[in-house]
Amino acid sequence: MIPDIELFNHSLYTTSKGPVTLGHIFQFILILSLSILISRIITLYLRRYFKDKVSRDAGETVLKFFYYGTIIIVFISTLDLIGIDPSGFLLAGGITGIVLGFASQNIVGNLISGIFLMVEKPIKIGDQVEISGTSGFVTDIRIISTLIRTYDGLLVRIPNQQVFTSNITNLVGHPVRRFEFAIGIRHSDDADHAIRLVEDLIDKESFALLNPAPSIFVSKIEESSVELVIRIWAPVSEWSPLKTKLVWAVKKILEENGIEVPFPQRVVYLHTASDQIPEELKQNPEKEIENILNYEERVLA
Amino acid sequence: MYGNYDLPFSVEKEGISISMEKIEKMWLYRRTLGTDNVEKLIFGDGKHIIINPVEPVNTPKEITSNLLIEFDKPLLLAGGTRKKFFLTFPIEIGVFILDKGNKSLQLLDVFTLARQKFTLYGPVSGGIVCKRWKSGIYSVPPSPNPMQEGIMEMTLRNATSEWASISKAVFSAYGMRLYYDADVFMRARMDLRSKDTAETGFELQHISGDLRRDYPKDQITRKESIEIYNRKLDFVPMNFDMRFGF
Repeated sequence: MIPDIELFNHSLYTTSKGPVTLGHIFQFILILSLSILISRIITLYLRRYFKDKVSRDAGETVLKFFYYGTIIIVFISTLDLIGIDPSGFLLAGGITGIVLGFASQNIVGNLISGIFLMVEKPIKIGDQVEISGTSGFVTDIRIISTLIRTYDGLLVRIPNQQVFTSNITNLVGHPVRRFEFAIGIRHSDDADHAIRLVEDLIDKESFALLNPAPSIFVSKIEESSVELVIRIWAPVSEWSPLKTKLVWAVKKILEENGIEVPFPQRVVYLHTASDQIPEELKQNPEKEIENILNYEERVLA
Repeated sequence: MYGNYDLPFSVEKEGISISMEKIEKMWLYRRTLGTDNVEKLIFGDGKHIIINPVEPVNTPKEITSNLLIEFDKPLLLAGGTRKKFFLTFPIEIGVFILDKGNKSLQLLDVFTLARQKFTLYGPVSGGIVCKRWKSGIYSVPPSPNPMQEGIMEMTLRNATSEWASISKAVFSAYGMRLYYDADVFMRARMDLRSKDTAETGFELQHISGDLRRDYPKDQITRKESIEIYNRKLDFVPMNFDMRFGF
């Protein structure tokens, strides 16, 4: 069955530039759909091409600008087809924007925050961050929201306005990071020897940085122990594995060399005040025991 | 140990054992170094195994592409002068497999006998993590163990008018060009541009008269190593810009 060609010439409405037919509307939708399809294909191709060549974060930002930019440009340039003057549209768009802005403040706020996040880049895709009490990896920064995969694998979507106005802690914002832990040794142990042992251990660890240098020192003399504090800098990517490894390794190396981590202890001195015991009790220990047993009755009665 | 091997093969040196044996229709690659054992199964008609020194920034994990060589003593150089001297650098050994048509090369394994340590070049905010090596400064080429250390011929140029004190040099692995034979060799340069900035880079090896006089061994043409980094990306600068002092 041949479609009725005349149908496409059917005028739907008339503008100052002339009548707008069904064919024009069809053309407009077709061009817009094609442009979306083509920009999506090009974006996919570019993403694959630049995968190993530029950082994912920078690449994604450029691709998003390319994708949405292409669609907006095609949309505006084809408005003529449906009888809308783009300049008039911009004016109308401005007014509409104000109206929409008031009507959808949150969405617009998120959108603008999203643009600022992409420009200012306090966080990047792949970073480990803490935002509004949520910690994890940034998996995507979208126009309206930011996606975070928490360490236990949950997906958290945070509106960009909240991201932008909250305190952001970027755990991988700098190339290196320090960790610190303390370990107690006995008062009788040689702290200098313990420090040398820990220094040797750290020196053997490739990822324990030479600069900034690690530091090991006696920080406190406690009741039960002498506290050693160990501070080590590591590349951010190796920070956590190194810390996990070294805490136990330090305990092991100290114990292997006879330096022990003491239990909490209290020294109690017992004095036998033999001078104060009456002669009669000294000679009759049974009576002493009896006196002790009857202490409560005698004293507390 | 460096060189080309036809399959199957087995080689042992300095506690390193490498072998490639056929198991049914596959090849089994096996490497042992101390307690570190690597085994890989390979499908395909492998033709050659190539073992050669590679850029020393791959082990124990590829976290940086920069090598910082710290001099054991600071070196003072007068303004407007140019001097040539020798350093050592750590060596990592790469094992590559070449297919039957000699068309594609695949890295199988990287390992090292050298000490591995990292450091930060520059401040905590904005510095660069580098693999770190400590070297003496030699006026004639040293003779290190070629399985552990290589020789770097360094041309240092002070383009400023002031004396400069140099205690370290940072190099990008993307620019490294390694050559090997009885020794492992790289030719590098470092240009001091101002009081605390410099640029480092590498040059292709060609035997100059000066070098021949200083270093008779260099009369032998060395083989060019197959590197890992210069086969990677096109958009990365080959030189290193030392912005945080030297």
